[in-house]
Amino acid sequence: MLHGAASPDNKNGGIKVNFSIFFSMLVNGLSMGMIYAMIAMGLILLIRAVGVLNFAQGDLLMVGAYIACVLIMDLSLPFYIAVPLSLVLYALLGLVFMLATYWPLRKASYPVAPIIATMGASLVLSEGTMILFGSWPRIISPVLKNAQGKALTVNLFGTRLQVQFLLIIVVAIVAMALIYLLFEKSYIGIMMQAAAQDKPTAELIGISTLMTTAATYMLVVVLVSIGGYMVAPVYTVTTSLSSLNLRAFAGTVIGGFGSIKGAIIGCLLVGVVESFATIRFSSYKDAIVFLILIVFLIFRPQGLIIDKVADKA
Amino acid sequence: MDMLKKAPKAGAIVAFLVLFSLAVTWKMNNYTVLVVNMALINMITAYGLSIMLGMCGQLVFSGVAFMGIGAYITANLCSGRLGFFLPGHAAVVAAVALTALIAWAAGILFLRLKNSFCTFATLGFVQVLYVLFLNYEPAFGGPKGIPEIRTLSVGGFVFDSYKKWYFLLLGIVLLIALIVERIRRTNLGRSLASIRDNEIAAQSLGVNIYRTRVIAFVIAGAFAGLSGSLLAQHNRFISGDQFSFAKSTTIVIMSMLGGINSTPGIFVGALIVTFLPEVLRGLDKYLMLIYGFAVIIMMIFMPMGIGGAVSDFLKTMRRKHKVKS
Repeated sequence: MLHGAASPDNKNGGIKVNFSIFFSMLVNGLSMGMIYAMIAMGLILLIRAVGVLNFAQGDLLMVGAYIACVLIMDLSLPFYIAVPLSLVLYALLGLVFMLATYWPLRKASYPVAPIIATMGASLVLSEGTMILFGSWPRIISPVLKNAQGKALTVNLFGTRLQVQFLLIIVVAIVAMALIYLLFEKSYIGIMMQAAAQDKPTAELIGISTLMTTAATYMLVVVLVSIGGYMVAPVYTVTTSLSSLNLRAFAGTVIGGFGSIKGAIIGCLLVGVVESFATIRFSSYKDAIVFLILIVFLIFRPQGLIIDKVADKA
Repeated sequence: MDMLKKAPKAGAIVAFLVLFSLAVTWKMNNYTVLVVNMALINMITAYGLSIMLGMCGQLVFSGVAFMGIGAYITANLCSGRLGFFLPGHAAVVAAVALTALIAWAAGILFLRLKNSFCTFATLGFVQVLYVLFLNYEPAFGGPKGIPEIRTLSVGGFVFDSYKKWYFLLLGIVLLIALIVERIRRTNLGRSLASIRDNEIAAQSLGVNIYRTRVIAFVIAGAFAGLSGSLLAQHNRFISGDQFSFAKSTTIVIMSMLGGINSTPGIFVGALIVTFLPEVLRGLDKYLMLIYGFAVIIMMIFMPMGIGGAVSDFLKTMRRKHKVKS
């Protein structure tokens, strides 16, 4: 189910790897890596802003996929209404998430408390959707369809690829670039950074840390939920989407905790390794991803790219 | 004077344990005792976490991984898979020793890392071992697990009922709790607390941070190995899915609920977390949802857990009492 139509026969093992399979594996891997990168970017933004390691990131992605599924499949809203509406709902979800798991805990005497709270939130989100929608996976129609309403495919270098994989890569790059620009270049972004670096001083010069924290959470959840919507046609909409979280963690650490660029590279690496690992060691692919993580932690704990705020984490 | 102040607390704990044991012996059916036993086994791992997270301030997930290692070592030694049977108590000793050794090797690698990095390394460790447990047939029995593990017997006395196991496990848990309390009051415990509260200050006072953290990690690993070994001999069957990441979060939540720095608190926390699914059996569907909400609400109102809340309450009561007199 993971790699959809592109590689249905790799379960038998021992298939010959020709260029076509290699290329489709590469594209699959890169697109999954992009999804991990979106989760990872959100993770780092939260760590920078409030110092909280968010264990519910994957569940937020899953809820995002369910929201898109309800709007598009159940209510059959047209695309141009469904997309802005889902973005608004994602932002609201982020606000609620912030008010529940961070704001009451920001002055907790024990720094691990907000992290444990995100573990609780992870349970609430995954069990809540399980109760609402059942554990049966749901199908969401891909964004780009052919005349029969099936997933559109293209021929690229003699390889048949699902367009959804390419779309994931494009959308992920655009979304991450927009959020990066917002944080690094806009006035609001600079306010958020100031609040992240030194809360009391930021409060002194009139920045409302409530506003900046809320904005950060909303942006993070929107980013992650877009990832959920993009990955849903490939993976189907199920509660097990939340397990993507752990692989995004692995990519984040491989890349270097404080650096968004590093995390994106790390996540792409995880995606590609995982994709190629399915060819030969299907049942061990998670072990391989996390072994790479441990090897990186031992030999290069600072990650691929070192960032100046890395020590915040 | 100090002894007098402590006496009512110790008395309350002993009274609770006696009442609880009486309830277990006379009032509970076999299944409920099984649940209590599982809580006691998990508690041993939770006490290990309490050393790492509570005393040292380092969140680690590796407890469940070491529990798995201890369990599989015992399973291999006591199920005849290797062509021989080791007596149960020898297997426990072997499992604890080997797990401690592995924890030492892992600790040397992982504890060079700080805070979240270390957390992630242990998270990766749990995932790798989980996949290995589930898939690698020669050592871990693969997806079918390892059945037919012999139950523990010491000197002709066979622990063949859950009630017999209960008293053994309670004894072991009390011993572990006493060890934890003892560690808190030793040089090691104070070094760990100093690392948790201010690493730089600790270093300037001559605390070897790396070594102290590795020692704590090995102790936590040995506890987890013990609990895994007991789990294997108690259930007589183990499989990989008992040692998943979800189980690690359960252990973490258990210790946080009870109060990460409170030894009696963890006892209560583990009992509550293990019993909640049984008490709310009718609400099966909503159980984990309620559980998640409970965790968030608890973190908001009492981040130091039940133990922390109780000791805060006692402190304020004592202060009021002093003001009056």
